[in-house]
Amino acid sequence: MSKHQHNAPLPDPVLRVKALESLLIEKGLVDPAALDLLIDTYENQVGPRNGARVVARAWTDPSYRSRLLRDATAAIAEMGFEGRQGEDMVVVENTERVHNLVVCTLCSCYPWPVLGLPPVWYKAAPYRARAVREPRKVLAEFGVDLVDGVEVRVWDSTAELRYLVLPRRPDGTERLSEQELAELVTRDSMIGAGVVPGSKSTDT
Amino acid sequence: MKRLEADQVDAVLRRGATARRSDGQPPRFARGDRVRVLNLHPYGHTRMPRYVRGRCGVVDRDHGLFVLPDSNAHGLGECPQHVYSVRFTGVELWGPEAPDADRVHVDLWDCYLTAEPDGTEE
Amino acid sequence: MNGMHDLGGMDGFGPIDRNPEEAVFQQEWERRAFALTLAMGARGEWNLDMSRYARERMPPSDYLLSSYYEHWLHGLEHLMAERGLVSAAEISVREDELRSPPHHEAS
Repeated sequence: MSKHQHNAPLPDPVLRVKALESLLIEKGLVDPAALDLLIDTYENQVGPRNGARVVARAWTDPSYRSRLLRDATAAIAEMGFEGRQGEDMVVVENTERVHNLVVCTLCSCYPWPVLGLPPVWYKAAPYRARAVREPRKVLAEFGVDLVDGVEVRVWDSTAELRYLVLPRRPDGTERLSEQELAELVTRDSMIGAGVVPGSKSTDT
Repeated sequence: MKRLEADQVDAVLRRGATARRSDGQPPRFARGDRVRVLNLHPYGHTRMPRYVRGRCGVVDRDHGLFVLPDSNAHGLGECPQHVYSVRFTGVELWGPEAPDADRVHVDLWDCYLTAEPDGTEE
Repeated sequence: MNGMHDLGGMDGFGPIDRNPEEAVFQQEWERRAFALTLAMGARGEWNLDMSRYARERMPPSDYLLSSYYEHWLHGLEHLMAERGLVSAAEISVREDELRSPPHHEAS
């Protein structure tokens, strides 16, 4: 809304944000301490380790897994993760026959309480444009090579449901504790843009 | 219109702000129904992506009642409606060269859809 | 609206640019833009759908040439101007002041 003309370079965001913040503080519209807390929450407190704990519990506790697939919001809240941009959750499970991939083609919808804020690539044009049109090529770029016949299910988060992928548990991890399993779970595997190292369905 | 104070941040984030509502229009569709997305191009806000307009899919699940963005974005009320996960084949969306086993699920509000009576499930 | 944000199915954007070492925020101004957007949103003067619509109205060429938090910043500026909270002119004046701060003024 600044005096930007078409075809002119976009105004410098650094200065714009500084100007805006100082005006909003001066007008009493924002509390500076609240700003710092908001940043700290999503930079340091909330992130994909939360989702990894949900996944590890689902791998080790069959009744939790079935609650998670039936009512993800409640099951995730059991672990203490809830709230903004995760108010209504859906968990989709990867199997031998199905690989799920989550995208938001219209903006950047992402389950904050379990994954934190989305990575830059998730919000950028190439992923948003391509994930629905050529998911197998996108997955191959991420190093996920699906065997023929595996169904790819792409979930476009166009409404207020937020999706988390329950990835496949790697073989040979029977003796690992829930905490050790959680350490194996990657952020990308919970978006579907990756698999947990060592797990099948992606073996070529 | 109150300022967000530092001591409220944690509770506000934890509470969130669900768009789910308990009352609204009854659902017109159910799981397994074949539907077609209307070919609408509103100048206002919508969450109906262009790539599904006019396309046929199958209702995979009913998520329940949610605030309708098309009215809420313009201050015209929440008008809660059912949101469905509608499943489209890659072939329906992108033509015959798309892999047979590709599916795209899109969350769509009731008023974005019309019944496709002659269709059979995939 | 048929805006630039509606990206699903477009071709030609090239490969997905991933950085495994990426931080949550790339730059300090992104932290501030994020927090200002959430803090102002929490006041309840607009809803999430209005925020999205404000970002979507960015001219398509600007949308593609700017980064994610610039979209947010555009939306926030737009919503505040519409409601008379902060005008584009005020931001512009403050930018000039920040470029060459006046002497002896508390900031």
